[in-house]
Amino acid sequence: MTESNKPILEVKGLKTHFFTKRGVSKAVDGIDFSLHKGETLGIVGESGCGKSITSLSILRLIPSPPGKIAGGQVLFKGKDLVTISEDEMRRVRGNEISMIFQEPMTSLNPVLPVGEQIAEALRMHQNMGRKAAWERAVEMLKLVGIPSPEKRAKQEPFQLSGGMRQRVMIAMALACTPEVLIADEPTTALDVTIQAQILELIKDLQNRLGMGVIMITHDLGVVAETCDTVAVMYAGNIIEHAPTEKIFANPRHPYTQGLLDSLPKIHEDQEELQTIEGSVPSPYNMPAGCRFASRCPHQQPICHEQQPELIEQNDGVKVRCWMYTDLWTVKMVKEEAVK
Amino acid sequence: MTLEAKTEQPVVITQTMNQPKESKIKDFLSILTMNKAAMVGAIIILFYIFVALFAPLLAPYDPYEINLENKLIPPSTDHWMGTDDKGRDILSRILYGSRLSMGIGITAVIFGAFFGIIFGLIAGYYGKWIDSTIMRIMDILLAFPGILLALAIISTLGPGLINVTIAVGAYSIPLFARIVRGSTLEVKRLEYIDAVRSLGADDLTIIFKHILPNILSPIIVQGTLRLATVILSAAGLSFLGLGAQPPSPEWGTMLSSGRDFLFSAPYIAIFPGLAISILVLGFNIFGDGLRDAFDPRMKK
Amino acid sequence: MLMFIVRRLLQTIPVIIGVTFVVFFIMQLVPGDPAVLLAGEGASKETIEAIRDQLGLNRPLLVQYFDYLTSVFRGDFGVSLKNSQPVLDEILVRLPITVELSFFSILITIVLGMAAGIISAIKPYSLKDTTVMIVALLGISLPSFWFGLMLMYFFSVKLQILPVAGWDSILHVILPALTLGAGGAAIVARMTRSSMLEVIRQDYIRTARAKGVRESVIIYKHGLRNALIPVITVVGLQFGALLGGTVLVESIFAINGLGRMIVDSIRMRDLPMVQGGVLVASLVFVVVNLIVDVLYRFFNKRIELN
Repeated sequence: MTESNKPILEVKGLKTHFFTKRGVSKAVDGIDFSLHKGETLGIVGESGCGKSITSLSILRLIPSPPGKIAGGQVLFKGKDLVTISEDEMRRVRGNEISMIFQEPMTSLNPVLPVGEQIAEALRMHQNMGRKAAWERAVEMLKLVGIPSPEKRAKQEPFQLSGGMRQRVMIAMALACTPEVLIADEPTTALDVTIQAQILELIKDLQNRLGMGVIMITHDLGVVAETCDTVAVMYAGNIIEHAPTEKIFANPRHPYTQGLLDSLPKIHEDQEELQTIEGSVPSPYNMPAGCRFASRCPHQQPICHEQQPELIEQNDGVKVRCWMYTDLWTVKMVKEEAVK
Repeated sequence: MTLEAKTEQPVVITQTMNQPKESKIKDFLSILTMNKAAMVGAIIILFYIFVALFAPLLAPYDPYEINLENKLIPPSTDHWMGTDDKGRDILSRILYGSRLSMGIGITAVIFGAFFGIIFGLIAGYYGKWIDSTIMRIMDILLAFPGILLALAIISTLGPGLINVTIAVGAYSIPLFARIVRGSTLEVKRLEYIDAVRSLGADDLTIIFKHILPNILSPIIVQGTLRLATVILSAAGLSFLGLGAQPPSPEWGTMLSSGRDFLFSAPYIAIFPGLAISILVLGFNIFGDGLRDAFDPRMKK
Repeated sequence: MLMFIVRRLLQTIPVIIGVTFVVFFIMQLVPGDPAVLLAGEGASKETIEAIRDQLGLNRPLLVQYFDYLTSVFRGDFGVSLKNSQPVLDEILVRLPITVELSFFSILITIVLGMAAGIISAIKPYSLKDTTVMIVALLGISLPSFWFGLMLMYFFSVKLQILPVAGWDSILHVILPALTLGAGGAAIVARMTRSSMLEVIRQDYIRTARAKGVRESVIIYKHGLRNALIPVITVVGLQFGALLGGTVLVESIFAINGLGRMIVDSIRMRDLPMVQGGVLVASLVFVVVNLIVDVLYRFFNKRIELN
């Protein structure tokens, strides 16, 4: 699936910081990833790890002030989205890169008919006339599986259920056939049965339109179902980045291992679910070493002294942990010798 | 929906209630002192209180002494704000007038708040038909546009300072009642009140010892903002000749007599108006600041 | 919607009855005997007794109230104590003037208030915003009777570009309407600003941005429509203050409207006139409130769910 050689979206060293009275919060602190056509990349992590800020940064939707992209590049088809003008950026939003948000209940404008909310993007980006745009909006509603779309298009959001609203959001995001779709927790607010339908819908539309999808989620179940590759974020960093099956089969980073251990497993008899002890460091005051060190069962002095790099292993899995470096083996050997 | 979640106050109230009292007050004071506008408001109010208390010491002349030889003198070093058509020193009259305006304002608000709080507490606490009866009556009082209820009251009581105080106080009653009722309903729902009741507290204890202290903040905010409105209304009624009567140095009355000299001696009307405006401004910005300080949603 | 209007209409009936009761009752509190007042000084006992009988003042209070209520509904507001003319006739002459003044004032309140609020909200905490908000704070703090006099002094006395008083041409409307509308405009500006800032934080505004909507379109199409819903209620409430304010403004600018009639009648202790004037002004306010509620309901369809 990821054969096409050049990625459509490349994020390099992206840093998004918030400058507040309390100090600088490094919500996203130097992350890299790329996305190919037709690929689905999952970004997972706990709330506050920076995954949503990452997605908002790509579209430059960070509330500013206090937020600011402090460094790095977001390369989309050769353009750096960090530096292009606001006008150019606007032409990318909703047109070439679209976004679906977490809260379908509040993410639609309550006073505008949903059809208008879809048509608006078409008129803006595709130079469609009023009538053509409306017809296309109705078509989109049909595409996302809303029954009697002509009638629904004229309705306002309060007349629609949560699942339907999320379908409208998807229709709106896909109206201009974007090349990249960012889905920020698209199913979190929905019932379990609706969740599956929405994910199925996104997957189906992805196959038809061939776009790249970034799936932001805290739900590893969603990742397993939809993603080709996964980037695990922790405290503003990506700490593990690998094809989905490899992450699930053989998680490397102690944090990823902890996350997977905390999942209920159907096939095994578990006495209790594992939880990760300790808490995430404050974004205002990041430790000098590995950000997970204080919670890590394998912590060593070096973990507290210096931050490890995200290093690619032989099998293509990238992991940010001293355990997978030469330094670690040398150190361990030394310690063995001392004993 | 999120809209509803935002208006749901009780959660917030429980949070502040669980805090120890001193830190609550400290928190509040620190927010209030951080709010520069509120501090300006407080300083203005304190200044007027000072003036009202020490008017006899501060006033350079007797505010009532008529001296026709000195009439209509424009502002000068002798008379900083000039003299009126009867030769009285305007500055001295304004200084004395602060006692009247502050006095009317505070009395009227206490009067309105007293009855409003009682009605609001009863309506909110007992609910059912008592609530709907009281609140319907309040609605009727609110159906009179603005100052007209006060006017109707004055038309029967007759003009005069005390009657104006009663009239403007009376039309504050429904506003206090509404706010107190709303807050009472919120506090009443808290588990803490159930706990107190299960310990055998009677209604009066619950209302005055447990509910009232918890709803003081909206009452204080409303009271401060009402002071602004009440002072304006009372001065307005005096301006119409329905409140304080000449030769009283009430600001509205002074302004009214200055009207006739707007062409030749505009300062007679300018200074009393300024005095009212600045005092009302003080109460308004202080009230705004209080509201921000009390509003837990503003806390970081 | 129709159901709502009907229900809301039914709700106003007790309010109207309540208002008439309050007006009636307050007049009963007048010290002194209305029959004596009406008969004038030095009238004989027989005359007073005759008047008392004629007015039905001997009967129980509640009966008198029902009499009053039925005659009010028949359009009979009694006669002026001063010139014995029907109160309603005088009101019908005065009311259109006050309605006209109120119309222009509320126009100023709405247009000026909303425009200022939007300007403020577009760039919060900027110099523009701070300036507008300080002016608005002044707007709610200045006494209208003083502000009116200052306007009169500046535009009519100093610059001599506007008439001092009276009610003849459109030029006469400007200063009174500005005086009366300014306070409301300040409140509407503050409300529009805070409502707009609240709306700008909403998820659907982020959605619109993510769609690539131009910032100006976001403000006017996506923001304003939502932000103005709560402002409608404030405008309605302001109308009450404004109607009350006509009392002062009409007195300052010598406009022979309803407000001035009430004040003059209080001075002359012409109670039926006061009664009639207060009642009519209150009824106008009740009707305006009704309209505002219906408008609010119409624009805020979301509450239909609850």
